[in-house]
Amino acid sequence: MERDGFLELRGIASRYGATQVLTDIDLSIAKGEFVALLGSSGCGKTTLLRLLAGFISPSAGEVKVRHRDVTYLPPDKRGMALVFQSYALWPHMTVAQNIGYGLKLKGVPRQEIATRVAAMQSLLGLDGLEARKPSALSGGQRQRVALGRALAIDPEILLLDEPLSNLDARIRLTVRHELRALQKRLGITAIHVTHDREEAMVMADRIIILNAGRIAQQGTPEDVYNRPASAFVAAFMGAENVLFLNGTPQGDQFAIAAGPANAAGTVPLGGRPLAAGPVEARFRPEAARLFLADEIAVIGPGITFRGEVAAVSYPGGHWRHVVRLGQTEIMADAERAFEPGTRVAVFVPAEALFLFNSPEAVSAFPISRTSSGKVHA
Amino acid sequence: MPKRLLGLLLVLPALAVIAFLFILPLIMSAVGAFQVEGAFGWGNFTKTFDLYTKDIIFTVVIVSLSTVLIGIASIAIGGYLTLGEHPVAVAILRWLYRWPMFIPFIVVGQILRTFLSKNGMMNNTFINLGLLSPLDAVSFLDWRGIVIAFVWKQTPFVALLVAGAMASINRDTIEAARNLGASRLRLLLEIVVPQVAMTLTVGLILSFVTMMSVLSVPLMINAQSPTMLTADIAFRVNSYGDYGVANALGLISLVLAASVAWIYLRASLKERA
Repeated sequence: MERDGFLELRGIASRYGATQVLTDIDLSIAKGEFVALLGSSGCGKTTLLRLLAGFISPSAGEVKVRHRDVTYLPPDKRGMALVFQSYALWPHMTVAQNIGYGLKLKGVPRQEIATRVAAMQSLLGLDGLEARKPSALSGGQRQRVALGRALAIDPEILLLDEPLSNLDARIRLTVRHELRALQKRLGITAIHVTHDREEAMVMADRIIILNAGRIAQQGTPEDVYNRPASAFVAAFMGAENVLFLNGTPQGDQFAIAAGPANAAGTVPLGGRPLAAGPVEARFRPEAARLFLADEIAVIGPGITFRGEVAAVSYPGGHWRHVVRLGQTEIMADAERAFEPGTRVAVFVPAEALFLFNSPEAVSAFPISRTSSGKVHA
Repeated sequence: MPKRLLGLLLVLPALAVIAFLFILPLIMSAVGAFQVEGAFGWGNFTKTFDLYTKDIIFTVVIVSLSTVLIGIASIAIGGYLTLGEHPVAVAILRWLYRWPMFIPFIVVGQILRTFLSKNGMMNNTFINLGLLSPLDAVSFLDWRGIVIAFVWKQTPFVALLVAGAMASINRDTIEAARNLGASRLRLLLEIVVPQVAMTLTVGLILSFVTMMSVLSVPLMINAQSPTMLTADIAFRVNSYGDYGVANALGLISLVLAASVAWIYLRASLKERA
């Protein structure tokens, strides 16, 4: 996406006491863009949002809006409005007072506040609730009041701190689309913090994955999903099956040597800077294909593992198998169920097999580190 | 059945204490207020209002004024503890403000007597600083002294309750208002105080009732007329053995205290509705 440097972060670092929370954050966000900051808890994504909002100051670096340095400006002078995870509605004020408070602070005449609050209410489907207190609203309504309060002051940038995480699962799915449609309609720039991969995928123009206070990767949803830049991103984006292989680049192909559980195979390099030696291979359960061991499966470029089904379950839509490959276990989905104990071949097509020269691959079969990349679906 | 009897037996001592040491004397005082030489009548109240109407008004005004000042001071203290941005100042205030709570009323009276008198420490300090000429020095040992004593002694208690309540409100509600541009004063008055209004009211009512019953401060600081009802009750009993008028004065204090409690109950019922 073309960036015009509407909102820029340069070399942002933040520390909390002796802990370095954020390191070297460089970001450029275009006007009207919807950016998701994705990461597991403790990765610094909320700190980054609070830093943007102006509640904390960075220990280094600068924040610019339209080339104007706002790093040390107070929260209300930045043209940003924040929607809190807890909504933070004022319990003693009615819906109309909550939405109109920002306007009241700006000294907008009472008549105009009433008009704009009414307009905001109908925009968000809160008509007729103006006299209610927040305690008399449902979760979804509270969320919309919080959104209305932020939007009422007509901010250039909307900051969203996990605004959907307190909604129940069914409402959340519709609110995602409503929020995205609203953002597009208003043409507002939005920065959305979430730990929910799917939420980030469906809502954002661009996903920024944070890991331990650094940007691990940024790109379009398809980009980070299909071309993860590191093992962490691959794991975070759902490629939780991990295996350690050996291989060497040959021209524009990467030749994988036969191992205790896998046959030899080649996959296109596709510009990946892979060096010869041990590699970490990651793939998603749904990308694997299962066959009986004696069925000969040559479908295309990819790699075939051989193992035994250890367990099978039905999460819905497909059968999920736990397949034992030597000393590791992987998950693989199939249209039909294979009984536990069946010898199977697991074929992973080249485009779904993510390979990384990771330092961990040095030891032959370390313990799977999938837990570190666990995501909430 | 025996089990239920056992349960009753267990609460009996507590019930007996309440009945004989609290309810019975209260009823007897209330009845005594309407007895003049063995016969029922309004005599004690006529006498009370003849002699002490001024003192009743004085008491209500003093205690109400003190309550208002305590409210303002405890909001200021709680507000600074919650919104203050200077960590050292906040820590010092947090450490300091509770101390008066641990000092008995009689000691407060004694301290302020030496501090507020015509030749007391306060006037001396002002004179030495050149802010006041010795001729203009006046004693504060009148209604002002009582108010100062009450506010000094009771503010920490209310501030403790209010600061606790302020600390437990959702910080996001404060930041949301900051995000929209609310000044520190608006944060305090429009966001924080409304959320602790109930706690503040409870603290102020408890203070009101406490101040209504303090004898030592008016005796120490303001032993002149008009004075507070507690001093009058002590005087009626100790100097005249006049329990009838003393009981009538006591009943009037009770009505004053109860009316404040009633306001609170009504407000809390409204809040719940």
